[in-house]
Amino acid sequence: MKRRDFIRTTMALTAFGARIPLMAIGKNGIQSSRRASWETDRIAVLIKLNGGNDGLNTIIPTQDSNYYNLRPNLALTESQTLYVNEETSLHPSMAPIHPLVQEGQMGIIHGVGYENGNLSHFRSSDIWVTGSSADTHLQTGWIGRLLELEYPDFPGNTPNHPLAIQYNSANLLEFKTSESNAGMMVFDPEIMYNIIAGNYVPGEDDPAPDTYGGEELDYIREIDILSYEYAGTISETASQGTNTVEYPNSNIGYQMALTAQMISGGLNTPLYRLYQGGYDTHANQLNDHSNLLGEVSQSIASFLQDLSNQGLSERVLVITTSEFGRRVYENGSAGTDHGTSAPCMIFGPNVTPEIFGQHLDLTDLDNNNNPWIQYDYRQIYSSVITDWFGLQQEISDTVFGSTFDPIPYVLEPLSVKQPPVPTKFKLNPAFPNPFNPTTMLSYTLPRPSNVTIRLFDSRGSEIQTHRLGRQNPGRNTFRIDGRNLASGSYFAQIESGGTALSQKITLLK
Amino acid sequence: MVKSTISRRQFLKSRNSTKRPELDRLNPNWPSKRVAKLYRTFLESKPPIYHPPHVYKSAPSLPVTSSTQTLRDADWNIEASAHLLNQTVFGPTYPEILASANDSIENSVAALFTPLDSPEPPGDWVNEPAPQWDALTDEEVMALFEQYFEWMWEMANWWLIRMTRNELNIRETMTLFWHNYFATAQSKVEYPQAMYQQNTVFREYGLGNFKELLRRVTFGPAMIIWLDIHRSNKDAPNENFARELLELFTMGVDNYSQDDIIEASRAFTGYVTNGVETNYIFETQSGFGWWWWEGHDFQEKTFMGQTGEWDGDDIINIIMDQHETAVHICSRIYKWFVYDTISESVVNEMAELLRTNDYNITIALQFLFTTEHFYDENFRGSNIQNPLGLIQGLVRKLGMEEHTYPETYFLHSQEFLGMTPLEPPDVSGWPGYRSWINSITLPARKLQAQSLVTGNSPWGSFDFTVDVRALAQSMYDENEEGYASVQIVRKLGITFFGIPLSEHLEGVMLDILLDGAEPYDWSINAPPNDAQWNRLRDLILYIMKLPEFQLS
Repeated sequence: MKRRDFIRTTMALTAFGARIPLMAIGKNGIQSSRRASWETDRIAVLIKLNGGNDGLNTIIPTQDSNYYNLRPNLALTESQTLYVNEETSLHPSMAPIHPLVQEGQMGIIHGVGYENGNLSHFRSSDIWVTGSSADTHLQTGWIGRLLELEYPDFPGNTPNHPLAIQYNSANLLEFKTSESNAGMMVFDPEIMYNIIAGNYVPGEDDPAPDTYGGEELDYIREIDILSYEYAGTISETASQGTNTVEYPNSNIGYQMALTAQMISGGLNTPLYRLYQGGYDTHANQLNDHSNLLGEVSQSIASFLQDLSNQGLSERVLVITTSEFGRRVYENGSAGTDHGTSAPCMIFGPNVTPEIFGQHLDLTDLDNNNNPWIQYDYRQIYSSVITDWFGLQQEISDTVFGSTFDPIPYVLEPLSVKQPPVPTKFKLNPAFPNPFNPTTMLSYTLPRPSNVTIRLFDSRGSEIQTHRLGRQNPGRNTFRIDGRNLASGSYFAQIESGGTALSQKITLLK
Repeated sequence: MVKSTISRRQFLKSRNSTKRPELDRLNPNWPSKRVAKLYRTFLESKPPIYHPPHVYKSAPSLPVTSSTQTLRDADWNIEASAHLLNQTVFGPTYPEILASANDSIENSVAALFTPLDSPEPPGDWVNEPAPQWDALTDEEVMALFEQYFEWMWEMANWWLIRMTRNELNIRETMTLFWHNYFATAQSKVEYPQAMYQQNTVFREYGLGNFKELLRRVTFGPAMIIWLDIHRSNKDAPNENFARELLELFTMGVDNYSQDDIIEASRAFTGYVTNGVETNYIFETQSGFGWWWWEGHDFQEKTFMGQTGEWDGDDIINIIMDQHETAVHICSRIYKWFVYDTISESVVNEMAELLRTNDYNITIALQFLFTTEHFYDENFRGSNIQNPLGLIQGLVRKLGMEEHTYPETYFLHSQEFLGMTPLEPPDVSGWPGYRSWINSITLPARKLQAQSLVTGNSPWGSFDFTVDVRALAQSMYDENEEGYASVQIVRKLGITFFGIPLSEHLEGVMLDILLDGAEPYDWSINAPPNDAQWNRLRDLILYIMKLPEFQLS
């Protein structure tokens, strides 16, 4: 065993050594307490097909002769594949989820990616998880920013279940907030609980001193308590949950089984990120890709069946993503190299059973000989936020920095309720920051009031004044335009009803 | 081994002849596409690295003294000594803290800067020349990558051992500081020889004149590759280095224009490397050879309002004359050693000291470490230790630095904890501060710390443990009044916690140590197999579970 394999094997030993219980230990349907402002119990399960899934061999354009011409060795003949419609079929290994197509529980979105697709695994993965464009480097995850907006006092004032869960120890960037990390890595719940609980020491009897040391101590204590609560909740719900079907004996199978078990036991974590590795098929693609798709399809089919048996499947949405697709033509090693856009697949009873977008035009490629994108990946995530979870459009706009048109793949979108009127005048972190050329300030007003926004330069001179007049209570936004300004630091101040809040923003041209 | 500058006549001769001089092997366009592809495949078989997030914190305001007067003798006590040593060296022990407290603050601070001999390199490979890549077959290339991976691994492990054997000297801490400051990642540099060379530059130049350090780093093979200096030539100057030089290494983001970056990048052209050697000579401050004459932009440039035929050294000279450079350097130093929110007045004073003392880092640091500001009670225990400081320091604190550990034990754990040496997340270094602590890293830190006692972690196991009896005896003073057990608890508090031990916690710790016995039952001279030492081991495990333990 080579050294660099060590960490993966070790994780396998510690994480996946426990057997999956097929019988409930004692299920009395206890739910973890939901003190969340999140008003729905819907759950989104996101699966990353790690390495760059070859979409063209996943969702096959059976009537396109170019497909067969460009891939003499790799193309799958129509008779091998699984019928979806006259011009579309699925890779044969996806047989386990083929029934879902017929039951209307699958949707397909073609051509997902982002402009100027980056062909590096690490960079493109980072782009997807931070919800950024190709030319921006963000240091927080889109889910992190989302959770930070919903739980602004994190780690304080949160429910006792983790806000987001993933099973892979690497690259937790997706859940990063501006100060911390809102995600939780889960491995074997019992081992986890023993390690974390065994290391937890409550410190309530001992107030922290009134110093900077004390402030940092408070922060660490909060994270400590959070980890402990989370481990307890996870362990409890896992032990009360059950799997009613068998799952494939693989890494992704285990992740889905555990997810189903925790949902069944009453865990209300709304977001899960699962990983299946191995999609970087530069060589020997037919065999490898087939195995991978077979594994994930069986896992997804088992997952939905399991939850359906327990009456829970209406609550879940499963989405497959990948950091990029692959080239339309095969290479000399019976494989394909990195590409740009690829399809995303959506599963669940609450999914619009439609194909969004067209098959790729294999003759119309970009300067890199890669297919153009049809949908920005942020449209998919934005729809998760608004249609699936029923949060306001402004939340999605703040997370991604602008509006990305939703894709109606959710069959029954939650109607947007008016959020409760906030009791505080609050200025949220500007996004993006540093920025070029515009940034968005978002703030909440407790009551209708006159609002003035001022911009000061780093010397304190007032260089912009915007009198916005009377604004409604609740969340509002304002865009600061830095096109005519020089690079540097500025202070954005919002003043309302005699109180002024300000924030430092940096323009980096 | 670098060839000397060829004479003008030799150069003219070679310009006109079809045969290029041997120095042509300094090819800045490596790797060839084939080699690059092989490297990609190789990289993809390695596990991905954990990247911690950036942190933006609003400034709290506590009444901290801004006095930069030297700390009064009356205030130089054991707690102050512990505060100094815990910020400046990896893992100071109680006897060392005591000895420093008994000496004057000036002597204690000066002792941290005692000149040391250079350590032995990790292996002979540090002098291994770069290969002729295109002369190798695919198999040979892959074998060489494996070899480089092994050497890089050795390099990282060697460095971690250096941290635990720091001889109570600030030099290893500053090596890590400069690694974070000029953050360069081995995954792009690829040559272990270059990463080793950069590491020795940090060690040898990190406490002297900052400009010399900057030059040594800039023109070393690692930085030339890392920030694409070797891809920068007069027809296509590359802005990467110029931008980070100004924004991160010297002046900071508000203090120059986009035009300055463009002009500076024109000056940083023609410098190349083959991964081990460069075409730059420090003594003459110039490049040489075919790539220099072909690639460097010899035209006039206007940088920071000054015009001339600037090269890289000239740009550095101009930058070092700017007022803001010293402030930026001192802010970074302050954030590492004091707190994430800086005190502008203290930083400005440090900066002035730097400017008037030829940018001597030692003088700025020694000043900081003697000010009343540094020892303000508000800063005690305010430093969330970085993972390397925590774990490597702990090895030394527990007196365990002479053991041989499984070779994955430190490095693989750091991938979890977030500070893999030689692999910062990007050129701005590790964001640090609260980003070290989240619901994944905090349990992992506790686990790794405790494994020094239990011998068991997910990243390696061993069958030795901390000698708690020796640890206690090293702290014990028979001339002190009171029970030994009470004394040991108090001194453990001083050694492991930055925040003063509260009465409550002291009581809890004593309870664990005594486990129902009376204080006088506990003897410092109990034989090694006495059950009471198990209680001390339990107490140390308990200490490692506390949030306070993460702070220094």
